[in-house]
Amino acid sequence: MKLIVVFEKTSRLRHIGHLDLMRAMQRALRRSGLPLKYSQGFNPHILLTFAAPLSVGMPGKREIMEVPIEGEMTGEAFLGKLRPALPPELPCISARAVDDRHPAPMAQLAAAMYEAKLDEVPEGLAEAIPAFLAQSEIPAIRKTKTGMKPCDIRPMIYDLSLNGDALRMTLALCEKATCKPELLLSTLFDFAKLERPHMIVTRTQMFGEKDGVFYPLEEM
Amino acid sequence: MNDLENRKLEELLETVQRPARYTGGEMNAVRKDWNSVKCTFGFCFADTYEIGMSHLGMKILYYLINERPDALCERLFMPDADMADKMREAGVPLFSLESRAALNEFDIIGFTLQYEMSYTNILEMMDLGRVPIRREERAEADPIVVAGGPCAFNPEPLAPFIDAFMIGDGEDVMHELIDVIRDGRVAGLKRIDILRNLAKLEGVYVPAFYDVSYNGDGTLKSFKPNDPAAPAKVKKRVVKDLSNAIYPESIPVPYTEIVHDRMVLEIMRGCTRGCRFCQAGMLYRPVRERSMERLLELADKLQQSTGYEEMSLSSLSSGDYTCLPQLIQALMDRYRDKRVSVSLPSMRIDNIVKQSLEETQQVKKSGLTLAPEAGTQRLRDVINKGVTEEDLIRSVTDAFECGWSSVKLYFMMGLPTETDEDLRGIGDLAKKVVDAFYRVPKEQRAKSGVRVTASASVFVPKPFTPFQWAAQDTIDTVHEKQAALRQYLKLKNVHFNWHESELSMLEACISRGDRRIGEVIYAAWKRGCRLDSWNEHFKFDQWMGAFEDCGLDPAFYAHRERPYDELLPWEFIDAGVSMAYLKRENEKAKQTQTTPDCRHGCNGCGLHTWGVCDWVKDPPLKGKAKTSAPLAE
Repeated sequence: MKLIVVFEKTSRLRHIGHLDLMRAMQRALRRSGLPLKYSQGFNPHILLTFAAPLSVGMPGKREIMEVPIEGEMTGEAFLGKLRPALPPELPCISARAVDDRHPAPMAQLAAAMYEAKLDEVPEGLAEAIPAFLAQSEIPAIRKTKTGMKPCDIRPMIYDLSLNGDALRMTLALCEKATCKPELLLSTLFDFAKLERPHMIVTRTQMFGEKDGVFYPLEEM
Repeated sequence: MNDLENRKLEELLETVQRPARYTGGEMNAVRKDWNSVKCTFGFCFADTYEIGMSHLGMKILYYLINERPDALCERLFMPDADMADKMREAGVPLFSLESRAALNEFDIIGFTLQYEMSYTNILEMMDLGRVPIRREERAEADPIVVAGGPCAFNPEPLAPFIDAFMIGDGEDVMHELIDVIRDGRVAGLKRIDILRNLAKLEGVYVPAFYDVSYNGDGTLKSFKPNDPAAPAKVKKRVVKDLSNAIYPESIPVPYTEIVHDRMVLEIMRGCTRGCRFCQAGMLYRPVRERSMERLLELADKLQQSTGYEEMSLSSLSSGDYTCLPQLIQALMDRYRDKRVSVSLPSMRIDNIVKQSLEETQQVKKSGLTLAPEAGTQRLRDVINKGVTEEDLIRSVTDAFECGWSSVKLYFMMGLPTETDEDLRGIGDLAKKVVDAFYRVPKEQRAKSGVRVTASASVFVPKPFTPFQWAAQDTIDTVHEKQAALRQYLKLKNVHFNWHESELSMLEACISRGDRRIGEVIYAAWKRGCRLDSWNEHFKFDQWMGAFEDCGLDPAFYAHRERPYDELLPWEFIDAGVSMAYLKRENEKAKQTQTTPDCRHGCNGCGLHTWGVCDWVKDPPLKGKAKTSAPLAE
């Protein structure tokens, strides 16, 4: 069977890269004494997949990984073993036991919600958002492996709002189309002709989609 | 650090290289409430996180101090150049990884002195941490600055900056040192009185209580205590029983990759071989082994607390550990299922047992590193490296038969009495290693072919070695020798690495320097020197300028053979090995005479009078052949 595990990458650890986070989780799993599955080969490693890598510099409130194990175990029992093996800065929130045939979170991922905490809210930002969203097309320049490419990010923005000093956004995050929060933010501030204040962007939730409705990815 | 500084730090972390090394939060990092303890210790490693986190001594002392309910220990490292500049610009002080306390908020700050070329980093760290660099300039409220580690055996070059040095094994003296400072602070004693109490501890050197004078030719004239609390000789501290000594059962596990990212079992301290160039071999005497029971217990605890996938055995000469084959076997058996690999570093070539090699391979095949040190038997005899060409070829052949394909060979150039023939010998030896590979039957040896890496460092004479009086080759001579070696090592399958001769010369100046060298270090730092052991930051011309600023000549320290009757700056330290023994060994070197391993009989190095050396009274291996050590049941 396998476990769908929700954990937090706290702000203190936001500069840890994806590969380093993977290694930290592998070591935590080794400390836990859980019945893990290993890859074949000369340097076997623990089987473990993350729903989506988190950018360096970005904390994650509800990150998701899938951990296959040998035998049967409840989510509670799994949590009981994993929790003490994790540092306080990388707490694990929930674990759900599912069948091996359960689709991988990575395959079901459709979107993610982000929250940008602004050091100060520039005047005019709140007013700019409705106008920004009212555009039928939002041209942006996306950096890809093959160079800079123009694209329309409007269809990838599912939600954007300002709540106090926090900009909340829900953006497409899947194989077909991904809009990184950075691309949205730079486009938004360019559109509003405002200087960007310092901010920390956190990924707060990931979603899967069923019949046009988003559900928290860990519940899919 | 206050809120404003904290906010600035958060911002600048977004702009520096590899920010994760400044953020802490690792598994097993210890965070204590500052109000719950009476004494705070800021443990400083004067190099970057990646280097410092690989260092065993820091892990031992971090664990030891944090085990005390009345004290806490937090880690501070040298920031990389980009970070240091940005911190200074933004007004962010050097801070600890655990609670982001500024360096000057600690009661005690302690530097571990691992290599001389990190000394400018010490000044840079203090400056970034708002601690006055010169000890005389420190106010009552400033931290007490202490230092220990191998380079503390010649503390003089750092005497202007460090309040108290700990000489010898840190685990042995640390509790006493903390007690004295804690009690002094609690009782509101003046700084000078706390230092006076420290000077009374065995193994502690407080430079303020000693006066130095010089002869007209620049040599040391006298070195005397000026305070009744200060002993004329400072005797090093020794952990007598390693098995019962404290050892970390958990260590912080870094997120970012560091140089040695694995758990380390120190199986033994000290070395009985008596190589005449080797400072560690002299300083860490006597040899003490940790029992196998204790090691297995520690291995289990470390494995459970860290989750590391690799374990290495550490000592100066792991091959000499009495029960090495049994230990390796036991570790393999225990960790096969947990997929922990075991690697054996710093192996001496004359007793790598094939059995051990086969065991190692079961889990992971790490590269083989051997240190013949010199190219000819004559020169190996001079330096008392008791290894023959036959030993070497047998060892590598064994390894090649077990599937190894890459061998690193370490050599030194510029050893006393060295001639061109010895340099040619390095090339010959490398060639013979390659030949040994091709003599192994095709189906048995690695398919990848063989790769031999020969590294030649420049000999640096070190205090408390038989070569402490020797002259180092000049930079020009070293360059000539390196050019010759490049020719001799132009061989198929052989790669040649060499060291910067400028760096080695400075190392020679500092390692055998006196108090005045402290002023050179200060001047060099003022001229922008820091991170000197990193090629991209090393500024040799600035160092030369610093010598000029101070009116000192590097050749006086590095390239001059010192007479036996000269007072050496480190002579007031009693490291256990006697001057008489060191002279005797130096004379034997000149005669190309070897001295046997003291496991085969006491050579009277001086420690035999301390009652701490197990090999004096009842040498367990006396008369036995080296590779057939009696095996414990």
